[in-house]
Amino acid sequence: MKLEKLNPSIKAISVMAAAIMLSFAYLVSLNLIIFGSCVILLLFFSDARPVRIGKILLPALVAAFGFFMMGLLYARGSSVTDADLSTLSSVPYAVRAAMSQNLRTALQLSTRLLAFAGLGIFFALSTKGEDFIFSLMHQCRLSPKFAYSILAAVNLMPHMVREYGQVRTAFAVRGIPSGFLSLKPLFTMLVNSIRWSSSVAMSMESKGFDGSRNRTYSQIPRVKWYDIVFAAVLLGGIAAGMFLLKY
Amino acid sequence: MNTQNKGWKLKDVLMIAICSVLFGVLLLGATYAGGILYGLLAPAGMGSLGYEPFYGIYFMPAAFAIYVMRKPGTGVVTEIIAAVIECLLGNYFGPIVILSGVIQGFGIELPIALKGYKDFRRPVMITSAVVCSVLTLIYNLFVSGYKMIAVPVLALMLVVRIISAILFCGIITPLLCDKLAKAGVLRGYAVSEGTDASFED
Repeated sequence: MKLEKLNPSIKAISVMAAAIMLSFAYLVSLNLIIFGSCVILLLFFSDARPVRIGKILLPALVAAFGFFMMGLLYARGSSVTDADLSTLSSVPYAVRAAMSQNLRTALQLSTRLLAFAGLGIFFALSTKGEDFIFSLMHQCRLSPKFAYSILAAVNLMPHMVREYGQVRTAFAVRGIPSGFLSLKPLFTMLVNSIRWSSSVAMSMESKGFDGSRNRTYSQIPRVKWYDIVFAAVLLGGIAAGMFLLKY
Repeated sequence: MNTQNKGWKLKDVLMIAICSVLFGVLLLGATYAGGILYGLLAPAGMGSLGYEPFYGIYFMPAAFAIYVMRKPGTGVVTEIIAAVIECLLGNYFGPIVILSGVIQGFGIELPIALKGYKDFRRPVMITSAVVCSVLTLIYNLFVSGYKMIAVPVLALMLVVRIISAILFCGIITPLLCDKLAKAGVLRGYAVSEGTDASFED
């Protein structure tokens, strides 16, 4: 049984519902359990390579560290916050934090982010983009017009990154500054994007795509019994954790 | 006036999707810059503040689409499409970004809807940017747990976020759209039809 076999829509909805449930729970242990089980499930029951998991988790870990420090230093109602904000770096915060609620807040904030990231990569690394879109079409009544437009746009991305680089270089060659936030290359890229959209639309329509639902599909994703079991176990597990766990 | 009818044309949907990807690429560039700021600020506990200056870029797809197409639902639909795309491109929050996408789209669209989708001048766009910043911070309060953070820090974050949103969505986006309309690329969209009101202001 591979995670890839789960229905993507059910998987996505379960993950979203889980995130909403977790945002009402302030349980460090539950957050860590969720994060841990997501990573373990990915490692043993999916085709995701460990290197890829590490790569995508690295920014999440960095972000969690940032949240940890923010919670540690600026938790609401703590003595540290009431002190002058500018002199905080010189405060021996570890001592103060241990005495106040801050460490707990820091852990709650950072582990929640980790739990969200765990759920997020659980979905992202075990779901092919196309499968997700096909499933949205059949399980969530997404119109084919939107579904295939999203796929077309996503597949244009590498081309767009290359083109963006070229446009910026072209400006730089002419002595026009083009940092990543300068408007001139962005304007050129918007012109290109709008042109692409009309030509892609024309080519899709000329091949008979009319965006209506009554078309044939090469694969129709279905909801199976194990999808329901998965959703029930994930959400039921979190609900149980919210009742049983204390910290 | 066939751009005003409720149905979405394939060309419109593709335009929104492709521009969402473009803003995503822009955001990617911003993330690198934000990452450096983040690294500098994180030990001082202000890491999250590093990304706030670029927060407005998240709202750009909705602001862009609604400014160009000017019909009900555009803001929310666009932001959901942008979120699904982000999810497909491998955001580590996965489908959870769809939740925040709904909030962002709603925030941008609300002031415009109150004006009956007729007034797209700068004050309205700036109001949209502010409303969106406030709503997303409320979302962060509960979902990201920001309500455990001290109020002065949150206020600072909100101020930076509002400034960023005003810059990217209230000023840059309408400016770009007007230039695009003037260049004739947006022929067939609502922005090129009744532009007299929104050009010189």
